[in-house]
Amino acid sequence: MEKKIIYIRDTDSAQKERINDYFTLFSNELRDANLLEQVQLVKVADIGLYEKGVAVKIIPENIVYSGIKTTDVKEIVEETIRGGKIIKDLLCGKKSKQLRAVLKNCGYIDPESLEDYIAAGGYKALVKVLTEMKPEAVVEELKKSGLRGRGGAGYPTWMKWNFARGMNSPEKYVICNGDEGDPGAYMDRSVLEGDPHSVLEGMIIAGYTIGSTKGYFYIRAEYPLAVERVQKAIDQATSAGLLGNNILGSNFNFELEIRLGAGAFVCGEETSLIASIEGKRGTPHPRPPYPSVKGLWGKPTIINNVETLANIPLLIAGGGTKFASVGTEKSKGTKVFALTGKVKNSGLVEVPMGITLREIVYDIGGGIINNRDIKAIQTGGPSGGVIPQEFLDTPVDYENLGKLGSIMGSGGMIAIDDTDCLVDLAKFYLEFCVDESCGKCAPCRLGGYQLLQILKKISGGNGELEDLNRLKKISYAMQKASLCGLGQSASNPVFSTIRYFEEEYKRHIVDKKCPAGKCKALISFKVISEKCKKCGLCMKNCPANAITGSREAGYIVDSQKCIKCGVCFDVCKFKAVMKE
Amino acid sequence: MKKITKEDIEKVDPSKKDLGKNWIKVGMSTCGVAAGADEVYAALIDEAKKRNIEIDIRKCGCQGACSVEPLVEVNVEGLPKVLYGRVTKDVAVTILERHVRNKKLLHDYIFEIN
Repeated sequence: MEKKIIYIRDTDSAQKERINDYFTLFSNELRDANLLEQVQLVKVADIGLYEKGVAVKIIPENIVYSGIKTTDVKEIVEETIRGGKIIKDLLCGKKSKQLRAVLKNCGYIDPESLEDYIAAGGYKALVKVLTEMKPEAVVEELKKSGLRGRGGAGYPTWMKWNFARGMNSPEKYVICNGDEGDPGAYMDRSVLEGDPHSVLEGMIIAGYTIGSTKGYFYIRAEYPLAVERVQKAIDQATSAGLLGNNILGSNFNFELEIRLGAGAFVCGEETSLIASIEGKRGTPHPRPPYPSVKGLWGKPTIINNVETLANIPLLIAGGGTKFASVGTEKSKGTKVFALTGKVKNSGLVEVPMGITLREIVYDIGGGIINNRDIKAIQTGGPSGGVIPQEFLDTPVDYENLGKLGSIMGSGGMIAIDDTDCLVDLAKFYLEFCVDESCGKCAPCRLGGYQLLQILKKISGGNGELEDLNRLKKISYAMQKASLCGLGQSASNPVFSTIRYFEEEYKRHIVDKKCPAGKCKALISFKVISEKCKKCGLCMKNCPANAITGSREAGYIVDSQKCIKCGVCFDVCKFKAVMKE
Repeated sequence: MKKITKEDIEKVDPSKKDLGKNWIKVGMSTCGVAAGADEVYAALIDEAKKRNIEIDIRKCGCQGACSVEPLVEVNVEGLPKVLYGRVTKDVAVTILERHVRNKKLLHDYIFEIN
C-alpha cells in the first residue's frame, strides 16, 4: 500500500481536550489494523474548516471528512485507509473560497529574483504586447476585461489609459500609487514585497500603451522593505534589458524611478501625489483637469494603484474575456482584502468579486474570536463605512458596498464584535482624518475638527440629542464641499454609524451608557459581593489603588479614584467585577 | 546580468516550473520579518550546515496567513508540501531533523489555508 498521511484537527474551538481522545482512537485503530508503518497521523493547527466538528484530511487522495464521531473512526480506517473507498456521509465537499490571481506569486517565488518571476511565466504579457499588440488593442483588451481601479473609487482603468493615450504630447508619465495609508490595510505592501516584478511589468505595459517613456513608483517611506525590493527589481530589469532603451529588441523605451512618500496620508490622493513628486507641498487641487489630461509637470499622466497594475500582466496574458469571466456584472476579477479586527485568522485574502461578506469572515477568516457575535464589518478604512451584520450576505462589489453607505476602498476589512463601540470607532477614524487633513480647504479642516469635538462630547457623557443632527449636517457639508477625496469621505464613518447604529448613539446620549463598555467616561466598575470570593486579586492588580477592603470584609471600588483601566474586570476569575 | 531576449521569456512553460524535490521556503515580507522570520531563516541555514542536511533554503513573500507568521513551507520527496506556521528557531531545528531527515511531519504546526 502507498504511504498515507492523515491530518487530524478539531475544528470546534470550544473543545480543547477532545482532539487527544480522537488521536488515541485513531492510533489504536491503525495499530489494530496493522497500518502504523504505512500511515502517519498528524495533528495540524488548521485544516481550513471551522466549527465543523472533528475533521480529517487523508493524503494523497485529499479526502476531507468532517463531523466525525468516535464510532466513525473504525470505519474510516477500514474503509478509506485500507479499502480506498470514500464514505459519502462524512465527506466535506467544501471548496476553497479564495482565488489567487494577483497574489499567485506572493509566497511562492523569491521576490528578489528575476529568474524566479520569469520561470513563473512573468514578462510573457510584455512580450505579447510588444510583439503583437498595438496600444489600441491593449486598451480594447482592458475594456473587455472590465478592470476597475483597485485603489478605492473603482474608475474603469481602460478609460484612464485611453484618455492619456489620446493626448497629443511628447511627454507622458505613468505613476504607480503605493502610498497605502489606510489603518489596517497592507495589500499593496504585500504585493510590492512579494512580487515586485508583476507591478513593474504592469507599468511597462502602461507606458507602452499611453506612449510614455518614464514612470514613477510612489511608495510610502514607511515601507522600507518594499522600497528595497522594488529598487532591486528595477535594477535587475534594467540590466536584463527589460527597462531602458529598445526593450526586448523593440523600439520602445521606458525607465522607472522610485519616489518616497514622506508620511502624509493625503498624498495617496492623486493630485497631492503629483504635487509631492514635483517637489511641492502635498496638497490637492481641484479636478478637472484630470491627471490623464494635465498631470505630472503639466503632462498627461496615469496614476494606478499597485493592485490594479499587478492585475495587468495576467489580464493581458490570459485575455480580457477570461479576466471578465470572474466577478459580478459590473465588478470583474478578484480583490485582495486585508482581513483584520476580531476575526480568528487575520491576514490577506484574495477572493472573486461577488463573494459575500459572510463567506469572507466565517469560511476564510474562521469566524469571530471567542465565538462572539459579529456586530458589523468596516470596509474602506477612514473613507469607508460600517456594514451591520444583517447585510453580511451582500455580495461584495463596488456598487453593493456603495449602496450600503460604505466603499470598497483599497481593501481594508475590519470585523467588529459586540465589545466594540461604534461611537468610539467613528471617533478613531475622525481623529485620523483630522490629523491627516492638509488644511487647504475649510470644509475638511474645520468640519472634521467639529465632528471630532461632538463625538468626544458624546463619548464623554455630555452629548445631547441635537448633536446627532449636527453630526449629520456637518458630514453632509463636508461630503459636498471638500476639495479632495479625503475630506469628501472623512465623514463616512460618522454617517454610516449613525445610519445603522443610531440607537447606540442614543444610549450614549440619553442613558449615558456605553453598551460595549469602551467609552471610559460612561462605564463604572463594581464588585458584586454575592459572587466575590474575597481573593483580593483585584486589589492587588489595581494600578490606581482604587480598590480597598480585606479578605474578611470583601472589596469595593472607589469610583473617584478609579481610572477605568479594566484590570480588575480582566483579572477576576469569578466574574465578580461588573462593568456597566 | 545577461540581457534577456524575447525567446528566453517565450520558451518558459510555467506549468512545468520545477523548484526541485527538496526545498524550504521562508516567508520574508514585513509581516514575516516582524514575527521573527529572519531569525528562522538564519537558523535553518546554520543548522542545516551543522547537521549536514542538504536542502535548498529560499526566501519568498507573504502567503497571506499573517496571524500565524513566520510561515515556512517545506517540500520533501515522498511527503506532501506542508506549510508550517508560528515557526520559532527551535521549531526550525525540529523541521530539519524530524521532517527533512526522518520524513515525519510535525504535530500542531501545520496550517492548511483555504
